[in-house]
Amino acid sequence: MLSHLRGTFCVLSAGVQRAWSSSSCLFMDPSSPGLVLQSQSTDVFQNLALEDWIDAHVDLQQRSILLLWRNRPTVVIGRHQNPWAECNLPAMRSAQVPVARRRSGGGTVYHDLGNLNLTFFASKKAYDRRRNLKVVTDALRRVRPQLDIQATDRLDILLNGRYKISGTASRLSRKSSYHHCTLLHSADRSAIAVLLRPSCPGIRSNATPSIPSPVTNLTDHAPSLQWEELLEAVVQQYSSEFGLTSSSQCVDPADEALFPGVGSMEAELRGWQWTFGKTPKFSVETQLELRDERPAARCSAQLQLEVKNGRVESCRVEVPATWLPERLSASLAQALLGERFCPHRAAAALSALLRCESGPLHSRLRNLCDVLVAAMG
Amino acid sequence: MKMAMRAALRCLSVNFSPRLPQLSSAAQVSATRLLCRSGAPRTLSTTSGQCTALKFTEKHEWVLVESGIGTVGISNYAQEALGDVVYCGLPEVGQKLEQLDECGALESVKAASELYSPLTGEVTAINTELAENPGLVNKSCYADGWLIKMTIERPEELDRLMDQPAYDKFIKSLEE
Repeated sequence: MLSHLRGTFCVLSAGVQRAWSSSSCLFMDPSSPGLVLQSQSTDVFQNLALEDWIDAHVDLQQRSILLLWRNRPTVVIGRHQNPWAECNLPAMRSAQVPVARRRSGGGTVYHDLGNLNLTFFASKKAYDRRRNLKVVTDALRRVRPQLDIQATDRLDILLNGRYKISGTASRLSRKSSYHHCTLLHSADRSAIAVLLRPSCPGIRSNATPSIPSPVTNLTDHAPSLQWEELLEAVVQQYSSEFGLTSSSQCVDPADEALFPGVGSMEAELRGWQWTFGKTPKFSVETQLELRDERPAARCSAQLQLEVKNGRVESCRVEVPATWLPERLSASLAQALLGERFCPHRAAAALSALLRCESGPLHSRLRNLCDVLVAAMG
Repeated sequence: MKMAMRAALRCLSVNFSPRLPQLSSAAQVSATRLLCRSGAPRTLSTTSGQCTALKFTEKHEWVLVESGIGTVGISNYAQEALGDVVYCGLPEVGQKLEQLDECGALESVKAASELYSPLTGEVTAINTELAENPGLVNKSCYADGWLIKMTIERPEELDRLMDQPAYDKFIKSLEE
């Protein structure tokens, strides 16, 4: 189906009678071995969908593409990561910062408008991350020669040998590849500290972990470096490295006419199934602190959960029988089975149980429910 | 007889341990032929269904069919190109796949590489060892590093895959 679409795209660009802008011949100009696109959108799901679309539909055997993009505040996790382990989902919900799972590997990053994303598209044969990063480091050295900029073996870019200003991830598909990296121009570093910590304690998982690094912004060391100046330097360097005859083009990643099918790619990336349902199986083991008010009393309980495909696969709540009868804690655990690992879903599932139980145990049961919900990130 | 077959396979798997130098792909396949040769002692054959030699896709996956079930892995060429595998994202047991469907990804330091189903069929098993030990894909790509097992809904798809000599030729053409 994909190769059919590729053929269709070529036919469409050549034959359809429409008011195509010059960007419609974007991918078809054979004299342009390198192409630079800038996304007009700051929506992470639209931008990730555009990456997927280009990877799937554009013939990259003879050419390469650089896509420049940035997002409104978002946390982006790697293909095989655990969002609950990597970021503080409750804090993100309060701050209305979404989490997105990308299709490339690697670790978790925080994006905001002060972070530049660069995606280098090429054929699998031409896949060369070092060459791509050289575009970035050479561009930076040209505009600010006083900065100490180096790419490492891990393909991070460090400033002053210490601070990470760029991280890299990539994806290899049937015939093509993309390598994308971040570049910290003027991002909100305090947000990173708050948001990139686990949602809940006690997670045990073999998902790919992130490697935390101290980060810094380019503007912390070169305050006069403007965003536009940075972009222009990168585009110029890409041109000289990869050969470019036309200037960069702005594109709207939500333009279904230009990128047919991009809308459904965006929907998939935005959906719960991809973002949370794709999480590798993990377990949560943690101690719960229970309390009662009248009379004041405390108790510790143990929670053990297995989460598969983002849903509770098994659940054990061990509460001392002197605190709550076993049948009650057991039925709480039972109520969570099959539910999404999510405080809202847990609260909804448990509230039904709460309604059934009035009487002296109600406050303790309610407390246990609250504590359980809080443990679900 | 099936048990004897599995025991024989396990013995061979031991030979593919990382202690020994990596077997060339030719040696790997002749190991397979040892299992599957008609005229082999009765303990190595099954009454129902043939065991075939390794078949390969252009995406460098191999398929080994036993009693109508295909075991799938990636070739030595692929594991070398990938580098150290750090995570295996595999499909679910019961998942139905069409040939060439994206069905997971292998993550290495190099990239997340998409996995494509070599055949149309249903996943009957996944290699759960890979969760704790993804490096098996590098160390033992033809044996302990197998990825999934699946039914074979369209045997004609299998016929169209490359045999060992054709695959060896294919790799040579890529390297030029």
